Amino acid sequence: METLESLLYGFQVAFTPENLIFVLIGVLAGTVIGMLPGLGPISAIAIMIPMSYGMSPASALIMMAGVYYGAIFGGSTSSILLNAPGVAGTVATSFDGYPMAQQGKAGKALAIAAICSFIGGTVGVVALILVAPGLAQVAVSFGPPEYFALMLLGLTAIASLADGSTIKAFIAAVVGLMLATIGIDQQTGTQRFTFGTPELMEGIDFLIIALGVFALAEVGFMIINRKESLFSSWKEVGSLKLTKQDIKELAGPTGRQSIMGFFLGVLPGAGATIASFLAYITEKRIAKDPSQFGKGSVKGVAAPETANNAACTGSFVPLLTLGIPGSGTTAVLLGALLVYGIQPGPLMMNEHPDIFWGVITSMYVGNMILLILNLPLIPYIARALLIPRPLLISLVILFCMIGVYGVSFATFDLYLLIIFGVVGFLMRRFRFPAAPLILAFILGSMMEQSLRQSLTLSGGDWGIFLERPITLLLLGFTALSLIWPLLKQWIAARKRNGNVAA
Amino acid sequence: MTRDRQAALVLVIVSSIYLIFSYRIPSFEIAVMDSDALPIGLGWLLLALSIALFFFGEKKEDNQSQPISRKEWGVIGAVLGSTLVYVFLLEWLGYILVTIPFILGVTALLGYRRWMVNVAVAVGFTGITYYAFNYLLNIYLPQGILPF
Repeated sequence: METLESLLYGFQVAFTPENLIFVLIGVLAGTVIGMLPGLGPISAIAIMIPMSYGMSPASALIMMAGVYYGAIFGGSTSSILLNAPGVAGTVATSFDGYPMAQQGKAGKALAIAAICSFIGGTVGVVALILVAPGLAQVAVSFGPPEYFALMLLGLTAIASLADGSTIKAFIAAVVGLMLATIGIDQQTGTQRFTFGTPELMEGIDFLIIALGVFALAEVGFMIINRKESLFSSWKEVGSLKLTKQDIKELAGPTGRQSIMGFFLGVLPGAGATIASFLAYITEKRIAKDPSQFGKGSVKGVAAPETANNAACTGSFVPLLTLGIPGSGTTAVLLGALLVYGIQPGPLMMNEHPDIFWGVITSMYVGNMILLILNLPLIPYIARALLIPRPLLISLVILFCMIGVYGVSFATFDLYLLIIFGVVGFLMRRFRFPAAPLILAFILGSMMEQSLRQSLTLSGGDWGIFLERPITLLLLGFTALSLIWPLLKQWIAARKRNGNVAA
Repeated sequence: MTRDRQAALVLVIVSSIYLIFSYRIPSFEIAVMDSDALPIGLGWLLLALSIALFFFGEKKEDNQSQPISRKEWGVIGAVLGSTLVYVFLLEWLGYILVTIPFILGVTALLGYRRWMVNVAVAVGFTGITYYAFNYLLNIYLPQGILPF
């Protein structure tokens, strides 16, 4: 009953005309930015943070949730229309979405994407409402050792689940942690790696790293590919209508994948990308006619689209209840929250109910706006892809600059931004994933603090991490996520050998 | 040498430098875990990981990442240079006076030749962002030598 009351309160917050406009702006901006190849939700959120400075924290976060959803949806739009996923979470959508577009059924694919995103998102929000308060109650009893173990799990999970080389993902995470050590140590007041520079005393602002490593680094690749005409593969969008047969086919995948996607999103490290691939593979496996997949199957678009949105919503669970982000994107959202002066965690539900419930309900509203407004507008919004690349590149650079300058008013930070842009570009070139870096950077100082608090509690005895059941369990999972990539390789090698023998 | 090995060597240097400075962090006797403990641990961890990358990284070069021609590197360098000049002049000349030429210049540098559109976007974007930030959001972008 209490939950229902709070929910109604949340709707009151989300339905003020002001906040409705912010959701709308967020969803539209997110869609446009997410559609641009290379710029995903992390860049979209980082670019939009400066726009939210004057707003109340609740409104700002409401807008950001809209940006997040919009960016995921925008990513699926470019996956379907151009076979150029703007976001890793929508790569699986292009497997069947692009073939559909080539058959002149782009409109239908977009409609399926929007409807499935809506269902996935909505089921996710309901699950979030059911799960979050309980989890927050459990989390209140968490001490520093539990938090440390939890963050360690999140970090190793994202590194071992990253696609590509696991070693490189761990290197990115360690570098992120190293960057977090720059500045004055919170416990002893010692300066670390500041080299006497006053600008570095407070540490590096997360926005500099997020914008540099993601948005600005992407500029380098946009420069290289600037002559590629995006619209060479452009076809008419076609009708948006679905047949009864389509809806029948959709029901199964959306039902299953919205639940599965949500839980994968809750898990640290998993998130939208893995949820969408897993959804695609599962649906293909259980389909009556798997040969249709990859040739423009309705189910092949529905499954990943449902799952990625459900997972996005799921990833808000650890952020809102524990104050710990489980993915690169929620890490940037956490950074944004800290900019607004809010520390999310188990106490947020009681201390800032307007934010907690306002955000949850605005996710619902954001999903609805995506469906009602974005879908018919997509053919027009897609014209953003027509912006000449050279102009777009200059504007993206400027957005990054303004974003950083608006926080610190220091050109020193702008130079740092450029350095991180170069670092991010080289990371992409050498195939290092960037998400573990930003997550590690944001978790870094929290992790160190909880580690040292734990050791202070125990008087320097590391045994404290083995005495508490929850901590032990979490550390067990961490060990598992470290062993998992090795195990995966071993199984693959055995399979290969087995095939050779046969 | 493969890219992974090149990256590994750079990382070995980075972790060594990081370690040297970690050992120089002044110690603070009372703390249970001193402020240099984590950096030292991270430094060694990165060193170990980069050595692992050197030996266990990709043995063969993948052909997935496209080669960048000398000319393209030049363009990237020019954009990077323009951005550095932009930052250098920003507080001195002010947002409006550096942003308009930046957009015009970088866009033209990247091969866009429709000057009317370019000028319209440069002036429009600069004016709107300057007005929005300084007068609506109260975030003051550098005024520089202009009186407004």
